[in-house]
Amino acid sequence: MTAQLRSELLKQRSTRTNLVLLAWMVGIALLVVALHVLSFSVGTLARPDNQMKILGLGTSIGALFAALLGALSITGEFRTGTIRPTFLITPRRTRVIAAKVLASMIAGVGFGLVAQTLTAGAEAAGLAARGIHIELSSADYAQLLAGGALSAALFAAIGVGVGAIVRNQVAAVAGLCVWLLFLEPLLLGDVPTAGKYAPEASAGAVAGAIQSQIADSLIAPALGVVLLAAYAALADLAGSLLIARRDVG
Amino acid sequence: MQDATDHRRPTTAPPQLQPALSATNLTKRYGDVIAVDDLTVALEPGSITGFLGPNGAGKTTTLRLVLDLAEPTSGTALVFGRPYRQLEHPSRRVGAVLESGDFDPGRSGRNHLRALALAAQVGFDRVEEVLALVELTAAADRRVRTYSLGMRQRLGLAAALLGDPELLILDEPGNGLDPAGVHWLRSFLRQFADAGRTVLICSHVLAEVAQTVDSVLILSHGRLVAERRIDELPDPARTLEALYLELTTREGS
Repeated sequence: MTAQLRSELLKQRSTRTNLVLLAWMVGIALLVVALHVLSFSVGTLARPDNQMKILGLGTSIGALFAALLGALSITGEFRTGTIRPTFLITPRRTRVIAAKVLASMIAGVGFGLVAQTLTAGAEAAGLAARGIHIELSSADYAQLLAGGALSAALFAAIGVGVGAIVRNQVAAVAGLCVWLLFLEPLLLGDVPTAGKYAPEASAGAVAGAIQSQIADSLIAPALGVVLLAAYAALADLAGSLLIARRDVG
Repeated sequence: MQDATDHRRPTTAPPQLQPALSATNLTKRYGDVIAVDDLTVALEPGSITGFLGPNGAGKTTTLRLVLDLAEPTSGTALVFGRPYRQLEHPSRRVGAVLESGDFDPGRSGRNHLRALALAAQVGFDRVEEVLALVELTAAADRRVRTYSLGMRQRLGLAAALLGDPELLILDEPGNGLDPAGVHWLRSFLRQFADAGRTVLICSHVLAEVAQTVDSVLILSHGRLVAERRIDELPDPARTLEALYLELTTREGS
């Protein structure tokens, strides 16, 4: 199992895929924070809950890109055909999936930390430039970083599971984007009583950042961790079972 | 290197010649289509076998069944007497190149081999050995997208040889190789087999097959239609083509 993990970590490092993902994540995080900090009024931005909401964008962006990273780690192998030599060397396919989950979680921690640090830094710089005092405590920032890293890691694990279930790269990437960018925000807005238990809202709860409409109905951070871990376990279990059963083309 | 026939160790195992690869009543259906139909074959150790048949005859499907990439509908496929997935260190027993495109174009040849070597628990010094063997050392740090088809073939072969296997399975290995490369491959495979190891090659290039293999299996519509030793054929290059065309076109009409 350590052999497979080391192999997966080298695969993660030895193409530009993750660097390109990281560059996109950095660009999008900066753009989104800049749009918020520059477009809202000073009065709105001075409120601590609004300052927190902007940080929540970093949690969502980190989660999305970590999920994409996880999904690409397996769908990329199906796209290029490297899945064949991979499975020839490790015919126990669940081991390969487990190694991909671990390797993607490690990379996901990095993505989560970068997304949150960048969001917090950009927000602080933007607010300072507009002469607005930052109302957030160091405890807020600590939870933001730790929670953002943890939820991005779990989202990376969810991404591997989704990739293993779907196998097609375009379908997995489109599915994750549609869910995280459109469907879940709609769910949160329209049915917050159920939406607050969804993965992205759970990540928001873990990092302490408040998502748009559900400021008052956020679940407890600990419950968020449990839920995210459960989603990840479910996706990876389903992915492993399907990968072990299905023929490789 | 292991003595595949176990002649020197009669006390530990009965001196039987275990086939390197065997299929028994192997069948694979995709819906109504039978890709492999009740195939029974065995490869004797120390031989090179050509696996022939038109496109869609079931050759690649058979290889995928043998290598546990696909599940047979019925029947069994074994390597060294066991299902592939039950081998202790599969890459030390079997090396396979299924398609010349099984690389990430954005990864260097060296890193492709290193990632596989880590999973196979083979040292990086072995990566350098196989790179040198297929003469890719100079190009090893280039991304595979810059490789020619022949270089990709050689990289695939290098990957298959990482674990120093006893059975080598190659699908169209001559594709994209220049004449010197084809010549090199032929003598490499001969040495490999002379050391008691086993080779199975799928190919459409019958003249090349006739020069390389000890025996041929001809598949048509998923069924084994001929099994011949090359030395049974007078003027192998010509007779093999005649035999092939007769068997595979008659089956199709």
